[in-house]
Amino acid sequence: MTMAWRIFAASWKHFARNLWIGLATVVVFTMALLSVNVLLGANAIAERVVALLEERIDVTVTFNPGTPEGVLNQARFYIASLDQTERAELVSAEQALEEFKKRNANNPKILEALTELSGNPLGAQLIIKAKHPDDYPFLLDVVRGPQYSSFVRTSSYDDHKTAIAQIQQIGSQVRLFASGLVVVFILFGLLAAFNAIRVAIYTQREEIAIMRLVGASSSFIRMPFVLEGVWIALLASMLTFGFVVIGIEILDPRLTFLFDGMDTGLKSFFEMNALSLILIQAGGLSALSAAVSWIAVGRYIKR
Amino acid sequence: MIVLENVTKTYYPDSTGLEGVSLKIESGEFVSIVGQSGAGKTTLAKILMAEEQPSEGRVEIGGWDITRIRPREIPELRRQIGVIFQDYKLLPKKTVYENVSFALEVAGAKSKHIHDVVPQVLRIVGLEEKANRFPRQLSGGEQQRVVIARSLVHRPKVLLADEPTGNLDTLNTQDIMDLLVKINAFGTTVVLVTHNREVVNALRRRVITLKDGKVASDHAHGKYTLTV
Ligand SMILES: Nc1ncnc2c1ncn2[C@@H]1O[C@H](COP(=O)(O)OP(=O)(O)O)[C@@H](O)[C@H]1O
Ligand SMILES: [Mg+2]
Repeated sequence: MTMAWRIFAASWKHFARNLWIGLATVVVFTMALLSVNVLLGANAIAERVVALLEERIDVTVTFNPGTPEGVLNQARFYIASLDQTERAELVSAEQALEEFKKRNANNPKILEALTELSGNPLGAQLIIKAKHPDDYPFLLDVVRGPQYSSFVRTSSYDDHKTAIAQIQQIGSQVRLFASGLVVVFILFGLLAAFNAIRVAIYTQREEIAIMRLVGASSSFIRMPFVLEGVWIALLASMLTFGFVVIGIEILDPRLTFLFDGMDTGLKSFFEMNALSLILIQAGGLSALSAAVSWIAVGRYIKR
Repeated sequence: MIVLENVTKTYYPDSTGLEGVSLKIESGEFVSIVGQSGAGKTTLAKILMAEEQPSEGRVEIGGWDITRIRPREIPELRRQIGVIFQDYKLLPKKTVYENVSFALEVAGAKSKHIHDVVPQVLRIVGLEEKANRFPRQLSGGEQQRVVIARSLVHRPKVLLADEPTGNLDTLNTQDIMDLLVKINAFGTTVVLVTHNREVVNALRRRVITLKDGKVASDHAHGKYTLTV
């Protein structure tokens, strides 16, 4: 106990004696951790965008005007009964017309043309959502089958493939860039930690010489420096935590408009994984920093 | 107590520190090691405290063969040998008391033990009144006495002093010598490395003279012989 306390006290004394270089190391470590979290945040948002796009995929079947109600209902019933279907919704010809008019409310020419036509030129629509994005080609095949071919005017399927691919490509580019940044920052951080511990050892060299002379064990000499490395890592973790919380509070509300007021995926990702994120980052960095400090002490305590 | 058998120390690449040195020091002895600069005195001291390993031969202290001592056993050895080196200074930002207690703290002593031992050794060296002073507020002789107090905290069986009076005037030198004799009287084996002739001649104890890394003479009640 006595020794543990003395080692603990010594580790803070070392840190205080070389406060500025210690703080500089904290800053570099903080940047390393921030880059990790920016990477994670960007990733969370990209995943959320992809999920939203996938949600928007549907198959729209437009029937010929005047297709009997019975056929429409039967088609809806049949499609809805398929395993691959999440839901199938029928939009009557009248509803489709209303929608069309609403959409073109600012376009008097089109509305004018519409009134010149006798009756409703639009057909009913069946909107099908699949349980899984991979199921759309199958559902499309079904509605294009011979059963319905005489009633179906068009069947379209917007899979947002290009949009999804773009998002994923941007995502992977961001990931690559950020990963590089993470590696660079962590390397710089470890180098800075190594340097900080070396300086700490240098300023303590007289103490160390005397400690060795009077029979201090190697671990007693080494542990305070290793612990100092851990404190630096933990301080950086705490700072990072603060910055991430503030960053999310600022960014998340400003991003919601991009998501039609829905979850941006940013805050929810960090909230859901808070504990493991903190443990892994703080723990991982502390372990790395401790190892580097251990090595930095290395040759100073041989004999 | 201390046995050296045919000890040779060759520094890389080809400088000779010691060459075929054999000697035996009994428990409770006060031995002076003398010789000109470069004779190998410090090398001998460093081998005794395991700061250097002999290239050849065998070294034993208190029945413990330290010839090939493992690094993690060195702290234990250092607690059994009090070391006073000219260049191992006091920590300037610690008081006399703290400088002495530091040696116990880093070796894992309990606080209570520290409170008991530090005043004791400060009394032995006659500095209990100046426990709260800083090294710069002390004379050279007093500083060296603090170093001696520090070397005594583990109650060593051997006190190894390399030129402890090298930087001191005659009066302070006499103080330190009186102290070493007193410590020897308590039963501690003292090995004193010096090239101060008066000091050695006044002692009238065993004198081992080194020359070019070899034992040139070994007299039970010797004098510093310049001729060899
Ligand atoms: N670390 C070293 N590397 C090389 N040569 C050394 C080293 N230390 C001592 N020597 C050499 O060993 C010899 C004995 O040195 P030393 O034991 O310091 O002598 P003394 O203490 O009697 O003056 C000298 O010739 C010295 O140059
Ligand atoms: Mg010397």
